[in-house]
Amino acid sequence: MAWFGKSNKSSAAQRGKQQVESGLVIFYSVEDAIMAERILNKNDIRCRLVAPPPFLRKGCDLALEINLIQQAAVQRILQDRVPVVQISPLSGTAELLDIIKVSEYDGYTMVKAGNMKLTFENASGMIVNTSGGGCPDIPYMNIELVGKRLDQIRRPKEMGHSLCSLMLDRAAEGAQEIWEERKSQC
Amino acid sequence: MLIIAGIVPVAEIPLITGSVQMKDDSIVVDGHRIPWSQGTAAMIAAALATTDYLGLEAPRAILAGDTGAGRGSRTLYKYLIDNVAAIHPKVLALHYWMPDLELMHQLYEKVDRLQPRPILIADAASMYAAKAAGLASGFDVFTPDCSELAFLADADAFHPAYIAKHLFEMDSDRNPELIETAFKLKGAARILLVKGPRDLIADETGILEVIDGPDIPAMECIGGTGDSITGMCSALLFGGMNAVQAAAISAGANRIAGQLAAVTPASSISSVVKQIPKALAQVLGEQP
Repeated sequence: MAWFGKSNKSSAAQRGKQQVESGLVIFYSVEDAIMAERILNKNDIRCRLVAPPPFLRKGCDLALEINLIQQAAVQRILQDRVPVVQISPLSGTAELLDIIKVSEYDGYTMVKAGNMKLTFENASGMIVNTSGGGCPDIPYMNIELVGKRLDQIRRPKEMGHSLCSLMLDRAAEGAQEIWEERKSQC
Repeated sequence: MLIIAGIVPVAEIPLITGSVQMKDDSIVVDGHRIPWSQGTAAMIAAALATTDYLGLEAPRAILAGDTGAGRGSRTLYKYLIDNVAAIHPKVLALHYWMPDLELMHQLYEKVDRLQPRPILIADAASMYAAKAAGLASGFDVFTPDCSELAFLADADAFHPAYIAKHLFEMDSDRNPELIETAFKLKGAARILLVKGPRDLIADETGILEVIDGPDIPAMECIGGTGDSITGMCSALLFGGMNAVQAAAISAGANRIAGQLAAVTPASSISSVVKQIPKALAQVLGEQP
């Protein structure tokens, strides 16, 4: 992966470029950080142990620098294996976008999270379309999700690798909640 | 030559290149049949429908299978970096792949050296990478939707998942403000085609065209309707139109194609693509 490259030889400009897409995984203990590095490396995810900047010091004084585009894959791999305090970008907004917008159509509901949209049929809960996004797992998940009922899908965060897949997961989660709430009111 | 590069959601497909053909609801490249689903396949299908309609050479595709891990994406970047000078396309349209800022820089530097310089279009994660790498203003056309426009207008965001909440919450009526900000922060290509309830075409001087009819709200639900606009726009640029004209015609034709297909939120992109020749005929004032 060109993201890390040869850091000791890269120019300041290149390091700046790399930092734009870098994120930090923050842990509760140094042991957790070391274990996570080993697990991610075994799963072909490039990462390196670093000291977190003061504004991100919520746990131990060792963090993992990752390519944030792979946040979904990192979360999935570490889940149930190493407790994580948080994953944050090194620059810009620290929080992943967590709000959704809902639009109603005749017989359908579209739920939008960030750049991702998921539409389901109100009567059946069937996903009829997903749209938006740009990362390479999105066309794959469109094929996997369309035609399935909301309560029968594998969640996008379980299938995906990218930040777009995390946004699609938020949309799917929001759609499930809306559909369940409507069912309980019938 | 019009080159469209991106990934397809079939992990087994290796790097493939070649002229695109249409067969039923699939495109065929180098013997591989790929259904028109959301993503680069839909974009290519729309571009091919447009080049066919205009009597132009078919687009050439450079594709690799990738379901998210990024290996196919890196293969694509590297192929383009090594070969773009020899290919020397008139139009290079970059689409779905894993954003990689360093590889995007390498590719951009190769393209930027070519004379005449290819017309550069980016959508999807290619647009994310171009903006995050600080290369946006070197591209000719970006085709964001409303949330992607907010990303282009957020100086610090490297992906739309990390845009500031107040930008995501802004109503689409305030898109002109976001467009102005995106240009000011150098987050925009030379021309922006913003896909939304009203499609806006803008450059650094402001809004140049507004396309708002026919109004087909269900189009926003359908995976691939943004891809089809970008595909048409790429083909029209290849045909010699200027970027503002190409953007306006592709936005208008997409809406008409949706109307002709009588789309609902459950429709597929293939139903829209099939109507592109008739839609282009209407927009261009010709008989199909």
